[in-house]
Amino acid sequence: MSHVRSSLRNSLLTSGISCCAVLLGLTGLAGAMVADWFGLPTRTVGAWVLLLAIAFWGGARTVGHSKSASVVAGSLMPSATHAFVLALFVGLISSLLDSGVNMREYLTQMSPEAVGLLTFGFAPWAASLVVFVALLAAGVAGAAVVFASVRHRWRESWARGWRGVRTKVMAAPLVSRFARHKSSRRVSYAIAVAILLALPFGLGRYWNYILGTVGIYVILGLGLNILVGMTGLLNLGYAAFFAIGAYTVAILTAPQFNTCWSFWAALPVGVLLATLTGVLLSLPVLRMRGDYLAIVTLGFGEIIRILAKSDVLTDFSGGPRGVRAVAGPELFGVSFSSALHFMYLILLGIMLAIFVVSRLQGSRPGRAWMAMREDEDVAQAMGIYTLKYKVLAFAISAAFAGLGGGIFASRNMFTGPEDFTLMVSVNVLCLVIIGGMGSIPGVVVGALVLKGLPEVLRQLSDYRMLAFGALLVMMMILRPEGLWPSTRGRMAAQGSREEPGSRSASEPSPGV
Amino acid sequence: MTVVRPCFAAASLLCPDRPVADPRGQPRTRVLRSRYLIMADDAPSRPTRSFNLGRFLTPAIGVLVVAFILWRLWGVLFVERIYGPDTWVRFAVSGVILGGVYALIALGYTLVYGILFMINFAHGDVMMLGAFAGYFTLEAFSSAGLLNKSLAWSIVSVAVTFVAGILTSTVAAVILERIAYRPLRKAPRLVPLISAIGASLFLENMAQLVFGSARRRYTNPEMIQHNVGWNLTVSGEQVLITYTGVLTFVLSILLMIGLYVLVQRTKAGKAMRAVAEDKEIAALMGIDVDRVIGSTFVISGVLAGAAGVMWGLHMGIVYHYVGFIPGIKAFTAAVMGGIGNIPGAMLGGLALGLMEALGPAALGIPFQLKDVLAFSILVLVLVFRPTGLLGEVLSEKKM
Repeated sequence: MSHVRSSLRNSLLTSGISCCAVLLGLTGLAGAMVADWFGLPTRTVGAWVLLLAIAFWGGARTVGHSKSASVVAGSLMPSATHAFVLALFVGLISSLLDSGVNMREYLTQMSPEAVGLLTFGFAPWAASLVVFVALLAAGVAGAAVVFASVRHRWRESWARGWRGVRTKVMAAPLVSRFARHKSSRRVSYAIAVAILLALPFGLGRYWNYILGTVGIYVILGLGLNILVGMTGLLNLGYAAFFAIGAYTVAILTAPQFNTCWSFWAALPVGVLLATLTGVLLSLPVLRMRGDYLAIVTLGFGEIIRILAKSDVLTDFSGGPRGVRAVAGPELFGVSFSSALHFMYLILLGIMLAIFVVSRLQGSRPGRAWMAMREDEDVAQAMGIYTLKYKVLAFAISAAFAGLGGGIFASRNMFTGPEDFTLMVSVNVLCLVIIGGMGSIPGVVVGALVLKGLPEVLRQLSDYRMLAFGALLVMMMILRPEGLWPSTRGRMAAQGSREEPGSRSASEPSPGV
Repeated sequence: MTVVRPCFAAASLLCPDRPVADPRGQPRTRVLRSRYLIMADDAPSRPTRSFNLGRFLTPAIGVLVVAFILWRLWGVLFVERIYGPDTWVRFAVSGVILGGVYALIALGYTLVYGILFMINFAHGDVMMLGAFAGYFTLEAFSSAGLLNKSLAWSIVSVAVTFVAGILTSTVAAVILERIAYRPLRKAPRLVPLISAIGASLFLENMAQLVFGSARRRYTNPEMIQHNVGWNLTVSGEQVLITYTGVLTFVLSILLMIGLYVLVQRTKAGKAMRAVAEDKEIAALMGIDVDRVIGSTFVISGVLAGAAGVMWGLHMGIVYHYVGFIPGIKAFTAAVMGGIGNIPGAMLGGLALGLMEALGPAALGIPFQLKDVLAFSILVLVLVFRPTGLLGEVLSEKKM
């Protein structure tokens, strides 16, 4: 009985995935990408590769660790179900198209060309038959390959080879001794800083702009990291502080407001105002914990955005149109105009932020925050005045957001309410968590992944938010401690698992 | 730090026969304690501090808010007199209907929160899927020419629409739980939240890619078009109460009653309450916790699907972000009523809908700012009653 259930579940999963892939137009996308890479004239190949790969994976999933040959036969049922469902689906869609229904009005990806990739222009019943046979064969092949690999212990031998490479090359005595030595670590820091300073010259305008955006998110992430990663206070309204910094700098420097301050005077004011707002917000919400705090900060973020957009403040914020012609900074007679100049400004901001955060980590407030994160009641019992440190965390974190916001407004020469939606807050939170909570390099990695990767994958522009959502879920399941966790975070994540030190959670075996 | 340094203090305590006196003649142990125990300098500040910020701040905010509200109410009702009684009735009716929908969605949040202590961020998107399913069902009926064929067919088509929306949302909610939440049952609390945010993004973008980003109009049967309804006469003016509005409100009340009965009077409801109380003990009592959590998601999906179809029928428009704002508002409503508390979610939803509809007019602020009002109310409720209107002490309790 459980056998039937599990095979049914398997086939449901694969059928769902492949139907979604067709409906989302992923087959067409895969076709276009494969055609691009190999210079093929047709997109059919890529589309079929994707579908067959899903079927193959589905077949492979059914095998598990069993070593008896009957598992290959056992994979027949789920593979056949999957092939049948997809054949039915393709047949239905192609016959609907044949009967002259305009599918695109309801399902935007279902153009005749996209469906033609799967049907080869056959009649619906023939196309269904082709789909059925091909997917069934792929499913059984997947089962057979995994079965063979289990029987012949391919997996173990791969693992052994990899371990050998790792111990011989990567953990070579010389390298590890270099990494452990304190002065050599300083040298490597210096090299890293030098590379960072030289890098913007070698990059074009476009990449400097993209990396500038990543850099601003690094500053924001470092700020939010203080709240979420170090203190354990969830803030979903972080964009509000960002907005306050940006609007302050914009209003103070833009010519239409007659203040016309220089950027260097306006930026500290922006940071200060953001800090003040952070303190003001933190006062009423100090006693809240967990999700209540999250929802109140979310509300606060929306309040700021809606106010900026509304007619009430339109004389200051420009309403939905935002503030234009924000002045750029000027230094030694050079007025910052290109993405390159701003890249250096942003790098400066990042270095400042990293310096502050790394000094804070080991300091009295930093340790107090971490104690509060682990257990607030115990921290209080240890004599930490938690309210004071919460206000401090809010203030410092808001100051970072103000800094980021000021640079952001000045670089874009514009600031408007749509730059500060809830998605900005969510993005910053996600980058902190993807990178690894409480870890400084984690924030950098997270920002690169979150803001940099989508730009690299421009080709997938329509699909990147979709992929991002799926990536978040998968990250949380497979590697919840983040890509580059702090040592403490890594320890906590390992401690919570059943077997300490095992990497079972991050390496799912093919049978699972 | 915290472990090592007090050890010195303890070590010197262990040798009491040789108390080391420091220059001022006090035993060394006291010096050690004050210097090395973590944050020792902050310790006295807590019990003896003279200026208690919270005790001072909260009443001050309260007085200010009440004064502001009274001042604006006085101004709007007795000085400016912009709106006649008919307008107030119109606002109130739309508020009650909106509140019904909010309450339904809020129930989904509160049920899941009550059991798993997580914000199901993707709940609004589950509602969106239900709304889309309803849209396609109605389109199918209308293209088959059955939608307005007769009264019976219209009723059947609306009923089928509800069933389709509810089924879709339920399936979506169950799949969501299986894929995105179940593997994270034991993870720290932020992890499922991020997973939920990811799932929400995924669903929104999937809907955009599959259905396109155009705003689609619901094709209501003619008997429940948006301009059809009863006319009420209030001080000489006609006030229209649409059938869709009545349908929405009545159905949401019925569903809420059904849910209340289910949770309070049936065995499944008892199991749910037990799991909400303590998962481990419930499991020891022979309750299948996984199944109860699954059924919670089923219920939340049913409510979200019904809410989605109602939203489509009453508001008339669906698109891929349609669940986002109602979702956030409904969560606000759930928190306002006391999250995890079922009557609280109902009360919070209705209150939020009413306040959103009546508030801007009553306070004489622009209608653009109705969301600001909603969130301000949320903040104020939590400041003065951190438990929500009907809730237990959850906001300060550790979970």
